[in-house]
Amino acid sequence: MRNHITNILAATIITVVLQLVSCTPESCLEESVARIKVPFYLSSTQRIKAPDSLTIFGLNTGSKKIYNASKNVSRAELPLNPSAENCGFVLRINGTFDTILLVYDSYPHLISRECGYTYYHTLDSLSYTKNIIDTIIIRKRFITTVNEENFRIFY
Amino acid sequence: MVSGQTEPPDTVEIPLKIRLGADVTGPLLYLTDRTTLNTELFISADLNTKTGIFLGGGFSDYKYSQYNYEYLSRGFYVKAGVDFNLLRPEMARGKYWAGAGLRYGLSLFNSGVPSFEFENYWGPVSSSVPSSDYIGHYLEAAPGFKAEMFKNFTMGWSLNIRKLIFSGAGKDLRPIYFPGYGIGGESMSYGISYYLVWNIPYKKINVIVKKEEPEESEGSETR
Repeated sequence: MRNHITNILAATIITVVLQLVSCTPESCLEESVARIKVPFYLSSTQRIKAPDSLTIFGLNTGSKKIYNASKNVSRAELPLNPSAENCGFVLRINGTFDTILLVYDSYPHLISRECGYTYYHTLDSLSYTKNIIDTIIIRKRFITTVNEENFRIFY
Repeated sequence: MVSGQTEPPDTVEIPLKIRLGADVTGPLLYLTDRTTLNTELFISADLNTKTGIFLGGGFSDYKYSQYNYEYLSRGFYVKAGVDFNLLRPEMARGKYWAGAGLRYGLSLFNSGVPSFEFENYWGPVSSSVPSSDYIGHYLEAAPGFKAEMFKNFTMGWSLNIRKLIFSGAGKDLRPIYFPGYGIGGESMSYGISYYLVWNIPYKKINVIVKKEEPEESEGSETR
């Protein structure tokens, strides 16, 4: 009889615990958009230096700015367009315009059960104008939500 | 060589059993949550009073959706291993089991993402991941307790601690859930099972019971 009660009690507790766990609301606390992480380097010193003024917007996106005359931005973060195989950005560094064009592949990636899915990218090629940009060095072609440097822009 | 002076050892007759069981946790939870159905049946057989072999399998149908994606997973799994009873035979008497099972699990399933969406600078993105077949592997440790309630009918529970070996997919599309293992996005998963078991005794063995040494009383009684 004691065994019966123990087992029934155990079954009840197990069921209640499982129900509580399954009903716990989940929230996404992780980064869910893959961005290119681009630090700015001064060509003359080869040291990282934020432009005095930085404006960036996507090519053909009108006036929707990612950075708008921002100061103290030593590293820009630029999201790629997952619905296309290429996209471009217009950069205004210290008043001078340059354009970067990127060609890439996109593929779905599970962030977590709480956050769901996003797109990661693999960079195929990169081209850019050289008005104020001196050179761009590719450091990592895989563009993910991980906090790691993808390009270095020397200006 | 004749030891006529020693007492014959006490023995106890222990039935070795074949067990057919079902995990009722999955069907019970399905009554309250229609998005997940798990069923599991198993057969096990005592090799001796301490050790048994275990073979189980089940079916799982899992649906999950939240504000930004839907996920489906459906398939079968088998798991095989060894059960260890930690109770002394004279205590267990073939009626009680308290110990742990160690198992290897193999899961064959189909999973896909019918829709997911997110938004970034370029606007909202809606997409999907087509369903694919996967084979996942895992190890399981299942400590628990079972007791005979009626003749040849046992009930009991186990905690299931699982270690992922391979989820069947690459790192980008790890299955959120796969049959037998549970939440596949993590390297460990945990669960609880509650079993109803039918026992079939197939053999009886006599086990020698170690006599406990009587405690020696020292000197005379004191007050």
